[in-house]
Amino acid sequence: MTFRIRQIEQTATGREIVRDRDCDAESITIGRAAENDIHLPDLAVEPSHATITDRGGGRLAVDATGTLGFVLDGIDSRSASIDSRGGGELGFGTYRITVSQDTDGAVLLTIRQVDTAATRSGDLEDKRGFSLQGVLPGKRLTSWIMGIVILLAFLAVPVISHLTRDPASKKGVIGDTSWNPGALSAGHHKLTDNCESCHVDAFVSVRDETCMSCHKDTHDHADPGRIAAARGNLPLGDRILWSVAHTFGKKGPGACQDCHAEHQGPTKLDAPSQQFCADCHGQLKSNLPDTKLGDASDFGKLHPQFTADAVIDPMTGKRAAVLLGGPASEDNGLTFPHKLHLDPRGGVARMAGNLGAERGYKAGGMQCKDCHRPTEDGVRFKPIEMERDCEACHSLAYDKVGGIFRRLRHGNVDQLIADLGARDYRPSSPAETGRRRPGEYAAGGLYSFNFTAPAWHGLQLQGALSKNGICGECHRPTTIKGKLAVVPVTQPMRYMSHGWFDHADHKQEKCESCHVAGKSTKASDLLLPGIKDCRTCHVGEKSQKDKVASSCAMCHGYHATASGSEKAKPEDKQAAMQSD
Amino acid sequence: MATAHGTANREYATSHESFLRHKGFRWLKIATILCVIAFAAYFLTDPKPRPSGSTWLGYTLGTLGALLIVWLALLGVRKRAITEGRWSLKAWTSAHVYLGLSLIVVATLHTGFQLGWNVHTLAYALMMLVILSGMFGIWAYATLPSALSSNREEMTQGQMIDAVRALDRQLDDAAQPLGRAQADLVLAALAEDPFGAGLLRRLSGHYPNCATQAAMLRMAGQNDAVGERVEKLLLRRKAMLERLRRHMRLKAMLEVWLYVHVPATMALLAALTAHIISVFYYW
Repeated sequence: MTFRIRQIEQTATGREIVRDRDCDAESITIGRAAENDIHLPDLAVEPSHATITDRGGGRLAVDATGTLGFVLDGIDSRSASIDSRGGGELGFGTYRITVSQDTDGAVLLTIRQVDTAATRSGDLEDKRGFSLQGVLPGKRLTSWIMGIVILLAFLAVPVISHLTRDPASKKGVIGDTSWNPGALSAGHHKLTDNCESCHVDAFVSVRDETCMSCHKDTHDHADPGRIAAARGNLPLGDRILWSVAHTFGKKGPGACQDCHAEHQGPTKLDAPSQQFCADCHGQLKSNLPDTKLGDASDFGKLHPQFTADAVIDPMTGKRAAVLLGGPASEDNGLTFPHKLHLDPRGGVARMAGNLGAERGYKAGGMQCKDCHRPTEDGVRFKPIEMERDCEACHSLAYDKVGGIFRRLRHGNVDQLIADLGARDYRPSSPAETGRRRPGEYAAGGLYSFNFTAPAWHGLQLQGALSKNGICGECHRPTTIKGKLAVVPVTQPMRYMSHGWFDHADHKQEKCESCHVAGKSTKASDLLLPGIKDCRTCHVGEKSQKDKVASSCAMCHGYHATASGSEKAKPEDKQAAMQSD
Repeated sequence: MATAHGTANREYATSHESFLRHKGFRWLKIATILCVIAFAAYFLTDPKPRPSGSTWLGYTLGTLGALLIVWLALLGVRKRAITEGRWSLKAWTSAHVYLGLSLIVVATLHTGFQLGWNVHTLAYALMMLVILSGMFGIWAYATLPSALSSNREEMTQGQMIDAVRALDRQLDDAAQPLGRAQADLVLAALAEDPFGAGLLRRLSGHYPNCATQAAMLRMAGQNDAVGERVEKLLLRRKAMLERLRRHMRLKAMLEVWLYVHVPATMALLAALTAHIISVFYYW
């Protein structure tokens, strides 16, 4: 086997000197010592470093003989096999031996000293290629750019625009849309692009005065001093929270925004939770001893019994608070037993059945709706009208002329006196029937007397306004200013003046569920339900499954405490403001 | 390990414990407690009209979250000073990881799930980006080094480069007798910079335009000795390149998350500043 050892050296001028020598042996040695076949004068090379042995077929075995290995194709090894036709590159210290096959089949070992300072681990510049440093923009640069862009766009622009804007101009602050933490309530929606209309001064929380600049008519719930007294000593936790809030310049408790939290999505701003009310009303009696109100914190648990604003003196129409929940009475001036009219087996039912569909009555007797007609909005009921609701049975006809019934005019005593008085001047139709009675008694005969048909005392002038007269069926006769009259009738549309109630929302209930009319024998029975009846369905804000969650705001107003009047409950802010 | 506090020095602290398992998952426990408290506070309180950043709990969680973010970001400063003991860098990193994860809970509850197109949500989104990139980083650090080491087979990065260069020199020699067309193929393979690949190439490890591969395929089936030798050398170069590319891919995955994590953190700090100042500016 021939090893052709080609030594390439460079002169100082860079010219290469190539020396070939052949070495016929099965194995050659490599090392620093001079007796080696390949002598490599480098201290990093061991005196006897490695051997290259021919394995036949062009294959060579390279084995390290000392303690140090060598490099084959850049890889540290101690033992390797090389196909000389494919070639390979061995590294010993600063020497590189390229293995290949010469044209005559000899193994060519080209020895070259690498004069660069490159170490086996390569230089740092090369290794940097493995990292992403050169591939991506630097972390620091990206950080600075992103940070500055964000600070400029989302902080500097709005702040500078806010500081330099002309307050008189209608132009909004540039870029503050990005500060909007959530949609405004439905009522304030049009202010979305005008943050500065509420956030007037920088670092100053939204003030009540700002709210009041639009909501001019909004009432205080009560005197602020009394509200503060009613709030009493806040719990420790609340006091700590408020002291923190005050440190940061918040007003309150009791500021507009304490109840009306904005930026909570396109909801309605009113209807705060019952806790806002309960904070004061839960222990109002102890904090505000002179209050007329009972404590209330949760409709299902703590709420005073209802009181109705009922008429107690029909002559003057005077009304007073009547406690419900037990036998309660009013005096609306009428004489009217509900039971009599609603009894399905009574005479009234029979008569209603006879009158039938002509008046809208059903065969089963009178129904509540036959007399109590809902208002157009269905919220409550119209007053009873005699002509419409009663007269089908309680006829005011007092005479018949030809085919025409003459009727008294309801509600006008003077007219009644005139009508009934005039009726007596008219010659009555004779009682005779056309048949003759035996003897001299006959019209046109010797003896004749024109009897009038018998008339009911109650329909005569003397008796009509008495207890047993036609008016006395429903009214109580009296004298007003010396004249004959009946006690005036007051039909309250509402009995609850500090809360709302909507009949339309209760359509699925029967009237009797709340108004026990079928058992009422007296007109003075105040047929309003007590709190117990309401609580069968309504409980506080946190309801059980089968109950209706009812917060304070379902029935009560805050700013418009007394607007539970004849009108429907205002559904939006505008209406609430107007109803004040 | 528990007794090693204070007295610990480099000799004693030889047994390896990763920053994830540090002190028996101490910071995992602390972060879990933090999350449980935040959850409990969120679900036990019933703020009206709805949970948001502007309730007392919202402000508390927000303050906590902001302090956490600033402290977490300080790892970048802290990591440049490696110390031992109670507040060792490892402890700090462990806390960084687990407290950073707990921010998902703290900050999400701070939002009260009110998100929108505004600077506040920008800060939240950037924070989530930082956390997600950090989670990728943890996964990378936990799994990739072993893959990296098995791919290297005890070669250093320098050796990988040297190996390619050694093959390049041999290729250059061996290809001298080739004709123009084939010489061009070899030339193209040699001119190919192993580190020239961009981010996507590096991350995918997919190199469809590899010149070495192309040259290798075109040189296949050569019967003469020179052609055979060049083909073999190209084959070896390709094998070495593949190892080098796998190495680059793993390295890229180990590094790439930091290119998101660090700039996003700085962007987050900016957005957080804007978030806090804007809230008080329009107070």
